[in-house]
Formats: sequence, structure tokens, C-alpha cells
Amino acid sequence: MHKGFKPLLIVAACCLAIWGLIAYNQPRLYHSQSYVFGTLVDISIYGEPEARARALTNHILQDFQHLHQQLHAWKPAADNQASELSTLNAAFSSGKPAVNISPRMAEILFDASKLSQQSNGLFNPSIGHLIGAWGFQRDEFSAVNIDKETISNLVKANPRMSDIVIENNTAYSNNPNVKLDLGGYAKGYALDQAADYLRKQQVSNALINIGGNIIALGQHGDTAWRVGIQHPRKPTAIATLELADGWAIGTSGDYQRYFMLDGKRYCHIIDPRTGYPVQHTQAVTVLIPPQAAHSSQAGVLSDVASKPIFIEPWAQKSTIAATLGIQHYMAIDQASHAFVTPEMQTKLTWLDADFKKHLHVQATALH
Amino acid sequence: MRAGDWCVLTAGIVLVAVLFQQLWSHDGATRVQIRLGDTIYGTYSLNQQRDIHVEGAIGSATVSIMNGRARFSKSPCHNQYCVHQGWLSRSGQAALCLPNQLSLELIGETKNYDSLNY
Repeated sequence: MHKGFKPLLIVAACCLAIWGLIAYNQPRLYHSQSYVFGTLVDISIYGEPEARARALTNHILQDFQHLHQQLHAWKPAADNQASELSTLNAAFSSGKPAVNISPRMAEILFDASKLSQQSNGLFNPSIGHLIGAWGFQRDEFSAVNIDKETISNLVKANPRMSDIVIENNTAYSNNPNVKLDLGGYAKGYALDQAADYLRKQQVSNALINIGGNIIALGQHGDTAWRVGIQHPRKPTAIATLELADGWAIGTSGDYQRYFMLDGKRYCHIIDPRTGYPVQHTQAVTVLIPPQAAHSSQAGVLSDVASKPIFIEPWAQKSTIAATLGIQHYMAIDQASHAFVTPEMQTKLTWLDADFKKHLHVQATALH
Repeated sequence: MRAGDWCVLTAGIVLVAVLFQQLWSHDGATRVQIRLGDTIYGTYSLNQQRDIHVEGAIGSATVSIMNGRARFSKSPCHNQYCVHQGWLSRSGQAALCLPNQLSLELIGETKNYDSLNY
């Protein structure tokens, strides 16, 4: 071999090795953002080839689009074609006998009814008329004229999930005032569907965020997925936490859908007992561990469980959380002071100095 | 020097240049990323004073960059939640306009989290 070639080969081999190492160390993260469900859907997939990650993401987004069309409370699925939910609502209000529903709708209504009962009716997806009266069944929210009599009548009509009777994929309502609005359930359900789909496709590492509700699969490379929790009044995160495999997180806040009237904030979370938007709480965040099969899943619980805790006055928050079996949660009052359970506190890394200073690690009943 | 030495020298210089580019990512300037629908509209340095006009899903919005900060300063949406978010200045901060399908996110050297719960 020529004398000059040997060092050249060694250098070339070293170059190749380093180049390979750099290529190998490139973040193998696929990240996509889209607008579905009238909200932002943000999907991260780690460790899959980009083409596969993109195909999987598109499949999930298509499923979300179908679900959105099926479950939308006020938009038609297509021109002149009502969503399955709207058709069902029309049947309920006209007092029709049982109508056919899809197996998926039956499954959702069973689960939502069970959760409604478990939360003493505070999670109540049958108060669509009330939500509409407050102007929250629109894409844009503007102040409404508050009609005390209408609201009082809608509360007296007492629509409950238990008014709905489901048998052999048919449903009818014993109360014509029942109007389903699954706005507090559908996103969580979609999270569970997406997580199931990815697991079946043998994807080990993903993070799915639908309008702020997040579920994790596996982790982000060598470390766990990390999520930030939004400040209820500022465009920043107050804290972060690690979301382990199968865990989900959800927040109910008064800052995403609301309108202001005479200096008061009216948010989209309505107390079914009074018919009025809740005004004593800025946000409630719940962290949900993986659940056993055949019970409500983590995604659904991350969407549903924050509502009853948000709605209950401060003295009752810890009681309803215990009733729902929620150990990890944080509630933020109107002074932007956070109350966290000891279990939740161990998970949090605080970023916001003010929040950290006014932090209360205690049962919220002591508020 | 002989031909082989030149080769080694050249390879060494190329190697250093490649490594410098790949590993020296200590870029002090933070940037703002604007997303429109499911695509990245653009990424801009915060080290400038500039108004960017973006045609969103329902109309024209203005994103302002000044003194290392960025914000929605004009939006065609009804509620103006995005404009009320005000100035974003720290890495990871984000503002979102759902009706117009536009989002801003500040990008820095480190990101505190993978996704935001809200």
C-alpha cells in the first residue's frame, strides 16, 4: 500500500464514524400541529422514521375529524346533514321513542352517564340548553343578555344523564329538556382513542395534546415527556411536570372560553345547580395515572374530572376530588394562589416565582 | 509536505468545520416561530424591530417583534384573546389564535417542556 494512504484512511474512517454519531444523535422527534375539534391538536412521536410518524399522525387526525363530525353539539357534519349527536338531541327534545345510535355513541353515553352520577351530577353533559343560553355553543364568544328567568327555568327542567335510557344501541330520553353537549368529554375520549391506536401500531413513544389535554406514551428519548402548565392570566407556564407512560393531564380554566360583562368574567364552565358560570376559581388541573381496562380511561378522566372540582366551592373541592378518586390535583383561586395536594406537589417543578411564594400544599378544604 | 499530508490536513480542516457547525449551537439570539394551520409559516430573530403581516384562516393578523419580544398586535378574531396575551419574552412562551389558526412560540437554547397543558 502506498505510504500516504494509511493516515488518509484512518482520518476518513474517523470522519465517517463522527458523521454517523451525529446523524444517530439527531433528535428523532416528529412534531405536528393541526386544527381539528375547533382547537389545536399537537402530536409528537419519538423514535419512528419520519414518513411513518407522518402517516400515523394523519390517521389520528382523520379519526379526530370523524369524531368531531359525529359528536359536534351545534355544527352539521356536512351540508344539510346533522351530526349524530344533533340528530339524537332532536329526537330527545321531540319526545320520540327510541332511535338507533352507533355502538360508539352507546359506549360514550354509558361512560358519561356513569361519570355524571359519580360526580353527583356536577359533570353533566345533558345541560346543552344552558350552555347555549350563555352563548358558548358558538365559535366566538360574546357577552349575552343574561335572562334570569330563562336560566332559572332551564335549571328547574332538571336535565340529567339518568333521563337517558340506552338499550341495544338505541336511546330515548324521559326528559325532553335533555340536550347533550360532549364538550367536556370528547377531547379526553379522542386522547384515549389515539393512544390505543398508537399502541396497536407498536409506537412506544408519543405525546398527544388536544386543546390542552395531554396523554403520554413512553418517553422522549432518555427522559420522560415534560409538560408545562399554563398560567391562568399570563402567556407563560407556571410549572412543569413529567408525564410518565400512560398518564394524562387536563385543566379546566376560566381563561380559554369566556366573555367579560360589567367587569365580571363569565366562563364556559357552568354549575348545573345554579345555571351560572363558576366565578370562584381560575383553574383546576388534574393528573391521572393509567386506569384499569373496562373502566373510564386516563384521557377521559383528564377531561371530565377537573370540571366537578372546578365547580364545587372551595370548602367542598377536596371532598369531590376524593369521591372521584383524584389524588393529584391543583386548584388556583381568584387571587392566583395555588392549592396543591401533597401528591401533586412532589410532581411539580415551579417556574413562576409568585406562584411558588403563595403556594399552599394542603387539602383545599382549609382554604 | 507530501500528498498524503495535504489530504490529512484538508480532512482535518473539513472535520473541524463540520463539527463546529453541528455542535456549536450556542446561538444567543432567541427566535419566534409563527405557525399557520399545520405548517410553519416562518421563524424570525427577536433581535430586530419588525411587523409581520400574516394572512390567517379568517383574515390578516400582525405579529410585532421589538426589543427581544414578540406579540400579536392585530388580529381579525372576535375575542382578541391572542392580542390580550401581550408580549412574549421567554423561551417556550406561546400565544394562540384559534379562529385564525395562528400560533406564536418563542424558541431559545433550551425548552422547559415538550407540550403545554392549558
